[in-house]
Amino acid sequence: MRLAGKIAIATTVLMFIAAIVTGPVCAKVYKTALSLAITGPTSDAGNPYSKGVEDFFRLVNEEKLLGDDTIECIIRDDKYETDITKRNFEEFMDMGIPIYLNYSTGSTLGLKRDFEEEKIPVIPASFHYGNLENSHYIFLPIASYSEQVIGLAEYVANHSEGGTPKVAVFIHPSAFGRGPVDDLKKAVAAGLKVEVVEVVEHGKDLDNTATLQRLQNKGVQFVICHTVQSPVATLLNDAQRLGLIAGTFGEKGKMTFLGAHYTGGNDLIALAGEAAENFYWTTSYTITSVPGPGADAQLALAKRYKRDEKTANSHNYANGVMVAQVAFEAMRRAKARGLEINRENLYNVLNDMNGINAFYPVTTVGPVTYSKTDRAGVDSLQLYVVKGGQFTAVGLPFRSVYMRKIH
Amino acid sequence: MSANRWLATGNFFATYKEEQRIFLTHLDRAVFVLFIAVLFTWPIFFELSNKYMLVINNILIAMVAIIGLNLVTGFAGLISIGHAAFVGVGAYTLASICQVIGYDHVAVTHAWPAMILLCGIVGAAFGAFAGLPALRLKHLYLAIATLSFQMIFEWVIHHTSFFNQGQTIFVGRVYWFTGQVGRSEHYFFWYYVCLVTLVLLGLSVRNLLRSRYGRCLVAVRDNDRAADAMGMSPGFTKVYAFGLAGFLAGIAGGLHAYMYRGVGIESFTLHQSIQYLAMAIVGGLGTLNGSFWGPAAIKLLDLQVENLAELAGKVLTSHLSLATALRPLTFGLVIVLFLMFEPRGIANWWRIVKSYFKLWPFRY
Amino acid sequence: MTYFLQLVVSGVVVGSIYALSALGFVLIYKSSRVLNIAHGQIIAAGAFITYALTVFLGIPIFISFLCSMVITFFLAMSVERVFLRRLIGEPIISVIMVTIGLMSILDGLIYLSPFGSNNYSFPAFLPETPLNFAGVSISWTQLVGVLITAVLISAFSWFFNRSTVGISMRAVSDDQFASMSIGISVPRVFGLAWAMAGLSAAAAGGIIGNITGLNFETLHAYGIIVFPVVILGGLDSVGGAVVAGIIMGLIQQFAAGYLDGNWGLSGTANVLPYIILLIILLFKPHGLFGTHEIERV
Repeated sequence: MRLAGKIAIATTVLMFIAAIVTGPVCAKVYKTALSLAITGPTSDAGNPYSKGVEDFFRLVNEEKLLGDDTIECIIRDDKYETDITKRNFEEFMDMGIPIYLNYSTGSTLGLKRDFEEEKIPVIPASFHYGNLENSHYIFLPIASYSEQVIGLAEYVANHSEGGTPKVAVFIHPSAFGRGPVDDLKKAVAAGLKVEVVEVVEHGKDLDNTATLQRLQNKGVQFVICHTVQSPVATLLNDAQRLGLIAGTFGEKGKMTFLGAHYTGGNDLIALAGEAAENFYWTTSYTITSVPGPGADAQLALAKRYKRDEKTANSHNYANGVMVAQVAFEAMRRAKARGLEINRENLYNVLNDMNGINAFYPVTTVGPVTYSKTDRAGVDSLQLYVVKGGQFTAVGLPFRSVYMRKIH
Repeated sequence: MSANRWLATGNFFATYKEEQRIFLTHLDRAVFVLFIAVLFTWPIFFELSNKYMLVINNILIAMVAIIGLNLVTGFAGLISIGHAAFVGVGAYTLASICQVIGYDHVAVTHAWPAMILLCGIVGAAFGAFAGLPALRLKHLYLAIATLSFQMIFEWVIHHTSFFNQGQTIFVGRVYWFTGQVGRSEHYFFWYYVCLVTLVLLGLSVRNLLRSRYGRCLVAVRDNDRAADAMGMSPGFTKVYAFGLAGFLAGIAGGLHAYMYRGVGIESFTLHQSIQYLAMAIVGGLGTLNGSFWGPAAIKLLDLQVENLAELAGKVLTSHLSLATALRPLTFGLVIVLFLMFEPRGIANWWRIVKSYFKLWPFRY
Repeated sequence: MTYFLQLVVSGVVVGSIYALSALGFVLIYKSSRVLNIAHGQIIAAGAFITYALTVFLGIPIFISFLCSMVITFFLAMSVERVFLRRLIGEPIISVIMVTIGLMSILDGLIYLSPFGSNNYSFPAFLPETPLNFAGVSISWTQLVGVLITAVLISAFSWFFNRSTVGISMRAVSDDQFASMSIGISVPRVFGLAWAMAGLSAAAAGGIIGNITGLNFETLHAYGIIVFPVVILGGLDSVGGAVVAGIIMGLIQQFAAGYLDGNWGLSGTANVLPYIILLIILLFKPHGLFGTHEIERV
């Protein structure tokens, strides 16, 4: 008994030690990386985005969603400078990451060639359609800006009364802003019933009276914005002062303002205050002011990692979480199929993400589907409108018809 | 001239020609040659990761640009807040050639040294043109005129579809005698190109500075009316200084475009211009070796600050966004403190160190 | 015609805000010949302090606006004391470089606060309905902004022309050695110039923040936007800043109103001020009201 007892204790101790020593050896660490603007231009979007990515990978590791394996995600600030993004990317390549998360339109376009040569799947935060042209390895998380803008134009065409609605496009003076304009014009040429009266590129304006009055004189009824929140807020404030904001959709003699992903969210309400009322916004994400499983999940994750209220309710936080989720899902599937986690396998797994294999993150309004021909993730869009200082959903998720006709 | 051609502690010049020599002693020359030899051979023996090769190449390109900025701001005393635009002019010269004849046209991929030279020439032309206000303007008014050039440059690129409205315009991979320079040897190859360019330009500027065209820059900086009285033409000298700066910046732009294999407006913004100015000042204005210290110091400081921020991010919780804030904070503090205690830049330290070695074992 | 008048009104409104933002540059340049690149960051800081006092501490907005001006007054004064006092007598370009470093430091400090990467807007405290005169409208926010600008600028003009301290500041800007010899403390004047620049920056920040909302990137950009204003007016003229500010505001509004949208042009309001600046400088190399420097060999 004594001897047997000693042996038993010794074996258990040994087993414990073995478990402790070999455990971490078996568990693998998968590296991935994100380079984005946490400081500098667009940092108001980049900051919550980075927290979304960070929190989701922390959750994966703490809840052991990949078994004993863990994901280590390096997050680097590139100050919105392509040169620094390139430097970061080279460093990440030296580390041997199998999938890369990028951020700005400029850097995604600038590094396109490198992605092709390295054959590395990339998920950027820029939904610029040009990212997909002449490239095979860039996967947009949601519908492209072009699709968002055309989707809004379609909504205008379908819901306005009397004649062809006159539309102005208010854009950011950059590649990011101009991207969708040509596509919108193509859609109009293909039969979309709106008239694009003017394309306005904004500057750092303190007063948009001139612009607004000019648009009014030209009979513009709808303004589709594709930029960041701050200029939209100034525009809305001036429109409110001039009494131009339509009380209902398409009100005669007034203007209805609509915007794509980066124009909206709580940041817009924070900046524009009451002038944001009746602003129409489209994105593929669920938002926290509309109750649902997506909102609950997002808030729960933010609460778990003690994020402040602004971050928790930011659509860019949701954006970051979702991108991390797609990267994680690709790894999980590759692992489940017994494949090694490398660039090629992840690329194939992502391309298989369609049909029955489509991926359903809870924070989007539709499934993520990728294939060799379609590398825009969530194809559905949801329209939201500001009512009583909060975004509320309008109708059901929809898809752009003309986007499929022109591309 | 001292009897010992290897060591000279004192000042033994008997003619101006002697004083104008680049290397005062044989020892100076030997050290310099050794240093250049090390620069040319180390990459063969030590393989550095792509990231650091990229950083080093970037520093070399910035050095080329800063020599130009130092000529116009340091030697000729004309503050330029538009240097990134001149670099951009160089890069966009190559980009427009790529737009017209295609990014993998033989002229772009095979005749790249000629292309880089062309970038420099176009840069010089634009530099001289942007320098025209110097005929009438002075000091900060002139500085803001160069700022205007920067703004107009950015606006033109942003609003012209020929320039892809600031989106990246691709530049093809170049060929060397061994065939196409692939991704694996890309940075290695461009290290040598940048280094050769830098050494050549550095030596020629050093030579220029001891000729009458170099001395007239300094004369105009110190007092342009006095220079006028001595028979120099201050107006011409100022425009020529801008042209020279534009040439060097254009070369840097061409190298930048080839090395990053693309041209996008983000690399040539006002922010970059201010960065260039920072490099020139930290290095030491009005000294040629300052043009080498500045870029190296600023770029490496940026890298170190990034590492520090990353370390802080691991140790501290990210809730305070302290790690994010630490980067600009330390960067600014280092620069401010450095300039508070050494307003003449790193070049001044270099001078002190050199004179220490020269006088050793004596104190003075 | 109404359209034209509306553009004029908007131009004057925007222009006077530019003038207020430019004032800080002029004050610092006037006394110490330094171009303060970090001015935009001080403007942003002023706006954020006002917001923090109003919303986090619940102080009425007008009082917190004044408090923020007082705080930046001392903030800028201590910046001068700590970082720039040592550099008196060093090359001007080194001092300008120090302000570039300061810009980075202030960036860091602001990123440390919640304002670095979040957006806010001031609680509405003025009537929503705009004022209308014959079809020309102006919002209360803008009107109050213009009034505050007018009050501050007349106060500064009075200060420079009448008060002893103001006159001593002018003396220092004229000749440092001469003013030292009659007992004016030059370092103290520099400190005071920085402090008043901080104060005016906070006022500008509060007003701009009310119009655009509080976004760090948007706010600190005003440090650069007003460069052409400062130069056009003449670097050392308070009155020049006002005139140039209004000219720039008008140019921008007319560019946006008449050029954009025609002939395929857009965004001209961003570049036209610089082009016109270059042209005017060719005829008036020291700006419209700048002091002509007399150089002696």
